[in-house]
Amino acid sequence: MPKVDITVEVCGMAGDGTIAAGGLVNEAMSLGGFSVLGFDSYPAEIRGFGRCVTRSRIGSNEIGALADETHILISLDDLQSRSRVPFLARDSAVLFDSKPDTLLEEEQSLAAVVEPGTALFGIPFTYLATAATGTSRGRNLAALGGFAALFGVQPEWFRRVITRKFQSKGEKVLEVNLKSFDAGFHYALEKFADRLRPSFAAANVVAGPEKVMLSGNQAIGQAALDAGLKLYFGYPITPATPIMEFLAKYLPAKGGRVVQMEDEIASVGAVLGAFYAGARAMTATSGPGFALMTELITHGVMAEIPAVILNAQRGGPSTGLPTKTEQSDLHAAVFGGPGDSSRIVIAPSNVAECYSFTVQSFQLAEKYQTPVIVLTDFYLDNRVENVVMPVASEKEKTDGNLYPDESLQGSYHRYLDTESGVSPRSLPGMEGFAYVATGLEHTERAQPDYTPEIHTKMTGKRHRKLQYALEDLPVPVEYSDGGQLDVGIIGWGSTFGSIQEAVNMARERGWKVAALKITSIFPYHEKEIRSFMTKCREILITELNYEGQLANLIGHLHRKEVVRLNQVTGVPFSPSAIFSKIEALLQAGVS
Amino acid sequence: MKTAATSLAEQIRHIKEAKKFDIRSGALPTWCPGCGYFGIHQGLNACIQELGLAHHEVVTVSGIGCAGRYPFFTSNYGLHTVHGRTLPVAQGVKLANPDLTVYAVGGDGDGLAIGGGHFPHAARRNVNINYLMFDNSIYGLTKGQPSPSSPVGMKSKASPFGTLDKPLNATLMALTYGASFVARLFAGDPKGITEALIEGTQHEGFAFFHIYSTCLTFDKAYKTWAHLKQWVHPIPEDHDPADLRRAFDLVLGDDFSTGIIYRRE
Repeated sequence: MPKVDITVEVCGMAGDGTIAAGGLVNEAMSLGGFSVLGFDSYPAEIRGFGRCVTRSRIGSNEIGALADETHILISLDDLQSRSRVPFLARDSAVLFDSKPDTLLEEEQSLAAVVEPGTALFGIPFTYLATAATGTSRGRNLAALGGFAALFGVQPEWFRRVITRKFQSKGEKVLEVNLKSFDAGFHYALEKFADRLRPSFAAANVVAGPEKVMLSGNQAIGQAALDAGLKLYFGYPITPATPIMEFLAKYLPAKGGRVVQMEDEIASVGAVLGAFYAGARAMTATSGPGFALMTELITHGVMAEIPAVILNAQRGGPSTGLPTKTEQSDLHAAVFGGPGDSSRIVIAPSNVAECYSFTVQSFQLAEKYQTPVIVLTDFYLDNRVENVVMPVASEKEKTDGNLYPDESLQGSYHRYLDTESGVSPRSLPGMEGFAYVATGLEHTERAQPDYTPEIHTKMTGKRHRKLQYALEDLPVPVEYSDGGQLDVGIIGWGSTFGSIQEAVNMARERGWKVAALKITSIFPYHEKEIRSFMTKCREILITELNYEGQLANLIGHLHRKEVVRLNQVTGVPFSPSAIFSKIEALLQAGVS
Repeated sequence: MKTAATSLAEQIRHIKEAKKFDIRSGALPTWCPGCGYFGIHQGLNACIQELGLAHHEVVTVSGIGCAGRYPFFTSNYGLHTVHGRTLPVAQGVKLANPDLTVYAVGGDGDGLAIGGGHFPHAARRNVNINYLMFDNSIYGLTKGQPSPSSPVGMKSKASPFGTLDKPLNATLMALTYGASFVARLFAGDPKGITEALIEGTQHEGFAFFHIYSTCLTFDKAYKTWAHLKQWVHPIPEDHDPADLRRAFDLVLGDDFSTGIIYRRE
């Protein structure tokens, strides 16, 4: 069975239905049993100008990242699509509107700028849709019909996802879309009968258990719902806003509430208040909002109040690059704020982990009575993957709180200095256990106290908890065949998918290369990381920031200087960039 | 609720019953002797006794400043937060467990300066919490800098040539922000505080208590006991707190009338 690994792009102007078309490609291919990873990019400006591009990587095997090159480009607007030509692979195919509304000068058409050898398929999207339905609105669907016919996609997959998407919008809308699709399909099937490239059909992929297309943000929202979230407090910020919007829609039906606050400080303040009173609450933000939250996060650390805070990283500093991806808030997440205030920071690397880590974060926060920060990034939040709908187990959802024993009524030490540093925590409403949670340094009985003995003891207690938390935190994941290695790559977050792809490329050449995924950023699993490092001649730490923030944190665990690969282009790592670095390291080692 | 104590025996029983709800903790308040905040403490204590609210069902949320220390002097649950964030945290507590009675307390610096951005939103959101602003027009804990409610021309170490900024009027702000219960009170009148707190605590929605106080350590010239006692007076008998226009008229025409200024059911 031939392996399929094809990247499809849809490109158009805002208003062309580009994002909708890309979404349908993802859904249809997922329905057909392929692995799908999709990512849309569109202008930061809300006004209807600018280029929209959707990229979908479709494979018969598991997919970790977007690919560098595009194999099929569906152009809904030639002027916009010209910018995508440099990304086309050799032998790629381009579908374009051969009879658009406004004719372009010959040298402006896409056909004029593609490399020789590119297969061009001119299909009159606008004309076909209009002829079939009386309106040109379905021209993006006509384009999808052409795509399905040319590349061996069963039209039934598309018809089903089109029906699912449009049936709620009325009979008429659904009909326009289905008929436009069919018009494009039949036209291409006949017109290009001798040039068909049925790559997808040839893969003979068998659809497994039903999968859903989920973005990182949707997975996070669903996880919060499943974990029994009661209150969400938030403030609009790209790229975290979709989480608030998702919960605003679904949380009320579960008896919860979404409150849009006046700023991020208020959001995290209300989260702390809610957890203090015993309810599961969360907030999600991005770098600038996270910076505002830091004082209250350290309050959670000091007063030992649980909190769940999601930081969907974007490019920084300051307002930075609001719609671009970066991993440059690691230092802020782990150490940001006054004093010795490190806290739990976990970082999912794919959509499935977005779900499971978010579910886990509530229990961790309760159990260790400290803020838990879930660190994602723009690329992870906004990309879609097809996954089997994740489900949280009862155990994962269980209340993580440790309540005081009834016998202690009246002689309660809220901040009892136990072996693990975790002290039983009462909730308002429990009789005989009233105390004042305070951000001042305090005694075990929660009385303010600034003596050297108390600050030394209580700082130790708060940090000891984190070491105990390690046993519950997601462990590093080794992507390796075992044995001694020339290069070991360490990465975190969405970057890890690109690392995996690069490792695959290296292994195909017989090189001894492996990777380690760090999922708990702080505290981190020192023993496991060291044991991986010991097996490697060189350690390469790859991340989307300038300062090498993970390398700064764990690089000292290696016996020699770690090699860093950093990128601040605002876009994800291409696997081949990492591959080139591996190659360079190996060559340096040989000479 | 208030009970009419007719006989001596009933009065004694009433006092004993109320003692159970005495919120004064063993901790000695850090406030200076003679501070107006003792009067507020007394006023709130009497309110809680009167309403018979159990210690464990009351949460006092505070920020930073002399007023911020208040939770330590009570035997309720308390949440002593960071500077200026009293209101969002208090709303989180109340939304998480509506059975709790929540008092947010803070000073004029905490609520009008650093935390000023939360005040309008707490008012318009109308979550059922009670907000007591201890307004002594000065930063006492940092030793006497001018606050947002200090008079123009106030001299201090931080303003040796006098301040230029006009003072904020917290009562007027609360009315403007749409607070559904607004009372202006005086720390020298604990009984008045108790009466307003009893009403405000039972009010369904955001209740604001603007309480004039004094800082006798750092303010020797403006809001002194002597001046406040001279200035403060009850609102007119015929004032109708249901009438927002009249509430505005009252507050715009008179900075020192005290009582329940506005309430909307």
